[in-house]
Amino acid sequence: MKLIPCPLNGLRNAEEFVCGGEVQPEPDASQLSAADWAQHVFHRDNRAGLVREWWLHVPSGYWFIAERDTLSDRFLRSYPASELFAKRTPVGPAEPGDR
Amino acid sequence: MNPSPQHRRSFLAHRQAVLTAPKAIAPDGLVLVDLSARPRLGFKGRGTPAWLQGRGLALPGRPNEATPQADGGLLLRLSEHEHLLLAPLSETDGQCQALATAQARERPDHVYPLPRQDSHAWLLLAGAAAADCLAKLCAVDLRADRFGLGDMAQTLMARVSVIVARADLAEHCGYHVLCDSAVAEYLWDCLLDAMAEFGGGPLDQAAFASGLRNPEPP
Repeated sequence: MKLIPCPLNGLRNAEEFVCGGEVQPEPDASQLSAADWAQHVFHRDNRAGLVREWWLHVPSGYWFIAERDTLSDRFLRSYPASELFAKRTPVGPAEPGDR
Repeated sequence: MNPSPQHRRSFLAHRQAVLTAPKAIAPDGLVLVDLSARPRLGFKGRGTPAWLQGRGLALPGRPNEATPQADGGLLLRLSEHEHLLLAPLSETDGQCQALATAQARERPDHVYPLPRQDSHAWLLLAGAAAADCLAKLCAVDLRADRFGLGDMAQTLMARVSVIVARADLAEHCGYHVLCDSAVAEYLWDCLLDAMAEFGGGPLDQAAFASGLRNPEPP
């Protein structure tokens, strides 16, 4: 069984995880053309080599980021999303308080 | 047959009727107890640890750790800012109701209630062979020398998501298993099936609480 390192739960069987796709920089929604949106939403690099991806540990509902070599399918490193995303992006009407 | 009162609210109530006269189980035999009618309650949000500590609870030091409470309850730390409190196995509800009331009244910042009574079923597997039995269903090493008192894990058991924690029982190794209520019956059957080779069987919650594994025949 392939093992995947989870920052919260440690090494676990791959069947406990779901891949959430490439980590992409968040676009500035107010500046984006339709073509840019299509690029952001639908197109993926599908790179051969080192990629940075979202992964979900399903039993704990924990999303994290992992660096994986797609040529060898080895996980090199995983870490909490807070390492990359330090500040929240407000979505919709402002909420009182941060969850 | 009507289920006994303590199982009236359990997701497995319709499976419990057969337990009103528990069959004799060897003193070291495995037992599976449905605790789904017992209180449990969660909180999440970054204000949670400080607020729970302020209410006098003993907090686990890190995620995936469980800390017994003075009243016999068990506080599980599911992540940095999410906690789940299991009531003691006795008839009292521990601090569950008091915490729910206090949170609703005080509305502390960044503390959000997570009612677990209706979302999760709560089973307890106890007995000398409990770890061997769970090894058939779960990939995490749950043997007592690897998964000690105070350890808990969020993993798959029989391919469904569970929270599993060691139960501090006087006699035997025991494990609390919490799963989604929708799969409670499936997991109950999987556990009974896995237990079959070790002997034992399901036990009524009241009989378990009173330490009665081998009732006198009527």
